[in-house]
Amino acid sequence: MRMLLVEDNDDLAETIIDRLRAEGHSVDRERDGDEANELLRHFKFDIVLLDVNLPGRSGYEVLRSLRNRADETPVIILTARSQIDDRVIGLDAGADDYMIKPVDFRELSARCRVLARRRAGAASNVFAAGSLVFDRAAKRATVDGRDAQMRAREVQLLEIMIDNMGRMLTKEDVADRLYTFEEAPSLNAVEQLVTRLRRKLEGTPLVIKTARGLGYIAYLSDDE
Amino acid sequence: MSDPAGHSLQRRLLVSMAAAFAILLILISALLWSYARNAADRTHDLLLAGAALAILERVSEGPEGVTVDLPTSAMEILSLNPVDRVQYRIFIPGEREITGAGDLPVPPGAEPEATPAFFERDYRGALFRFVLQGRQLAGSGGRQWVAVQIGQTVERRRAQQLSFFATGLAGLAVLSLIGLGFVWVAIRTSLSPLRQIAADLAQREPSDLREVEGAPPREIRGLFDAINGFIRSLRRSRSLTETFIADVAHQTRTSLSALQGHLSLAVDAEDYEKMRSRVLKADRQAARTVRLTNQLLANAMVIHRSDRASLRPTALKPLVRDVLAESLRDSRMRRVSLSFVGEAVAEGEDVIEGDSVSIREALRNLIENAVRHGPPDTAVAITLEGAGDRIRLRVEDAGPGIAEADLPRATERFTSLSQASAGSGLGLSIVKAVADGHGAELTLARSRLGGLEATLIFRRILAALLLAACLPLAAGGARAQTLVVHSATDAPAIRPLIEAFEARTPGVAVDYVEFQTLDLHRAMLDLGDAAPPDVVISSAMDLQVDLVNRGLARRIELPPQIVPPPWAAWRSEIFGFTFEPAVMIYDRQAVSPEELPASHRDLATFVRENEDRFRGRIGTYDIALSGVGYLYATQDSLQGPQALRLFEVLGRADVRTFCCTSEMVAATARGELAFVFNAIGSYAAAQAEAEPHLGLHFFDDYNLVMSRTAFVPKGARNPELADRFVAFLLSEEGQRIVAAQTPLLSLVPSPPAEREIERRIHERLGAFVPIRLAPGLLTYLDALKRKDFLDAWETSLGR
Repeated sequence: MRMLLVEDNDDLAETIIDRLRAEGHSVDRERDGDEANELLRHFKFDIVLLDVNLPGRSGYEVLRSLRNRADETPVIILTARSQIDDRVIGLDAGADDYMIKPVDFRELSARCRVLARRRAGAASNVFAAGSLVFDRAAKRATVDGRDAQMRAREVQLLEIMIDNMGRMLTKEDVADRLYTFEEAPSLNAVEQLVTRLRRKLEGTPLVIKTARGLGYIAYLSDDE
Repeated sequence: MSDPAGHSLQRRLLVSMAAAFAILLILISALLWSYARNAADRTHDLLLAGAALAILERVSEGPEGVTVDLPTSAMEILSLNPVDRVQYRIFIPGEREITGAGDLPVPPGAEPEATPAFFERDYRGALFRFVLQGRQLAGSGGRQWVAVQIGQTVERRRAQQLSFFATGLAGLAVLSLIGLGFVWVAIRTSLSPLRQIAADLAQREPSDLREVEGAPPREIRGLFDAINGFIRSLRRSRSLTETFIADVAHQTRTSLSALQGHLSLAVDAEDYEKMRSRVLKADRQAARTVRLTNQLLANAMVIHRSDRASLRPTALKPLVRDVLAESLRDSRMRRVSLSFVGEAVAEGEDVIEGDSVSIREALRNLIENAVRHGPPDTAVAITLEGAGDRIRLRVEDAGPGIAEADLPRATERFTSLSQASAGSGLGLSIVKAVADGHGAELTLARSRLGGLEATLIFRRILAALLLAACLPLAAGGARAQTLVVHSATDAPAIRPLIEAFEARTPGVAVDYVEFQTLDLHRAMLDLGDAAPPDVVISSAMDLQVDLVNRGLARRIELPPQIVPPPWAAWRSEIFGFTFEPAVMIYDRQAVSPEELPASHRDLATFVRENEDRFRGRIGTYDIALSGVGYLYATQDSLQGPQALRLFEVLGRADVRTFCCTSEMVAATARGELAFVFNAIGSYAAAQAEAEPHLGLHFFDDYNLVMSRTAFVPKGARNPELADRFVAFLLSEEGQRIVAAQTPLLSLVPSPPAEREIERRIHERLGAFVPIRLAPGLLTYLDALKRKDFLDAWETSLGR
């Protein structure tokens, strides 16, 4: 993946770059908010890791102008500020995730992978994870090359889960996206649908985790 | 200073002293109140007693039994009280009424005695104070009691009582204030030791935690000890803080030393395997150091935030959901089964006074603890449930838990109970600090899942429902109003006034109904359930005063610029608005101006000397028929004994009596009468102006002046409009119209005098005697008195 790291501390930047390059990503680095902004105007990246305290303009400003250009590149905010209010501002400004320094490299890699998967799934017609291949255009999923024989609703749910990978969705969120207003489904129907889909995804790395009373979160188990 | 009162000792003392003074004042004012009442009653009882005595003196045994000649002085005495209404009754107890209002109430068992007895009773809707006094009369049937009962309403008494009371109370209040001033000085003096302590403390450096020294007065010994106790605990707290910093330094340095140790060993390692194992250890140590630092910062932040007023209404449920959704993103949570139960708490029932940042931190620490100490696939259950005014946030895990014996120590700082998981010992103390900052309770127990159960119990804010009061819409809309005026005044004479009033108050029509004076009086007494008119106007002042004295009129608030002369107003209920002198009209062909009598005495002489010349050619009112005629005649009789003599002289000359001024003047104009005595000046003048051979004549000794009066009856349909009408009659504009456009004369004769009669009035202004609107007018309305007077009049006239 092609990544951009915007970080003014050289030592920290070096360790992150080394780590990410070791995982096979190509990483560019900027020290300055203004320069990062210029670079993002002209080049596309798969993921941007953005520090908040930057010379030039702040990380939030860089992010805001990025989103104002309708650029949907996934962004992870890195911040040393411990006040949680800052995170909310970051997410409101359009960040996909945030992490507090010092960051755990393994966690950073995991989050990057989730974001990359989510973006890849949304951007291309074919999503592949281990034995699972999902063809968005043909509305067809195969496991180990065999048709998973999913019904239309299950395919829809699969698509929703892939688009929101790593993000918690409440049952209500899922129902809103699955059904039209007139259909007014019970939340039980959502539960049953998730159970059916989960059964059909057995053996694939795509996991739909249920957090009782909260909702669903999808992730790829081969990330670990 | 917006401190509550309790924060100032001085204020508190002053307030309690003031309260004591207030209680004292209330006690004294109760006494003062009854004293003021007695004083006011005593003053006014004298008037009642005087009037009773005056009447009793005039009680006599006549041919038809006991009778009374009601003295004018009685009512004049009562009129010294210019406000109150009057009722009286003269009777023979247990036998018959002689005169007056027979239905006046008497307390049961009250017997008239020679000494006056005073009592208060309600009479026709108003409170009256009565005097009851009797006199034994020796007559043909032996000795018998005659009683007189006189009552006055109590308005004046109450006003005077209030004024006595207010004056007394003002004095007491001033005394109390002075007393409070002394108290204030005393308080300041006795509080000076406190100020010394304050000065001592204010000058101190923050680091100076010595105890305050000195010998305080016994009363503040406790405070003094408390301050020193506080200083001691502050000292302890500071040493605790110092310990904390030392602990932090120790923990951080130890952690960093270990990290450094591992790394330098790795640097010195001779082979790759040894180096790798050292570096792995260094990595783990670094992770611990990071966590320690994070938690120290979190702890500091939570404590710092709990110091400030950062609490605001916060909904717990969305906050908890947010934190949980956020923590689920962490890849370490993938195998942890996290659940949340909060359905039972509806929206709005989860609001607490809270700081969302701190609560987030507490919850994150509880979850992190559960994950850190439990197996990789541990279960964490979060429950939110309401109970009364509390709401519980419970976090349970399936980890190893904390042994019962260790629970009390679990929230202490740097107390890590588990060596294996190498906790920082700060997680639960952060939660405890958050709980303390919220006034919440933190309980630790063994959970149903086998591990630790930590419960935060917050006090919740239950939403108060505001009921919007629906105010009924007032039905608006201007409606045409009709002002009903019942009046004993010629309609043409008053029409200009009515038209002017209608013109200046749009949407108002005046319904004018004309009456004779006596009919109007009777109609007002016989109203029954019928609605009264809005305004009653009459020239018979005595009859009008009688109606007002019966309590039929309502108070009129005049605009402040309108001040009628004192004789033309009574009780702010009835007002005169014209100036109408009695006048002599003569035929210049029958009487030459030179022989006109100068005074009433001269008139009697003049008539007697020319008895044959004037036989049947003198006109005056039939006082039995005309209210105004009766009023003039009775008032004449009050001016001196010559009045009765005059009546006799007129009777011998075969005086002709008429119902009204207009007929008398017309008869004079026709040449039937030589002159007319006691015509209404205003009307007569208007008519005489058209007949050049008629002359006006005023006397030098006195000329009676009557005023047309208006009042607004109680129960009038349009009281405000009626008030405005009366105010208009008395206003400058109304008076100008009276003078210029009606035959009537304005209340205060205003130069320039344009009409003949006005000029004549101005010539001898001092000789005009206005009849006062006062209870004195009631004397001749007394049935007995009236009958006697009419009898005397008839006799004088030789009928």
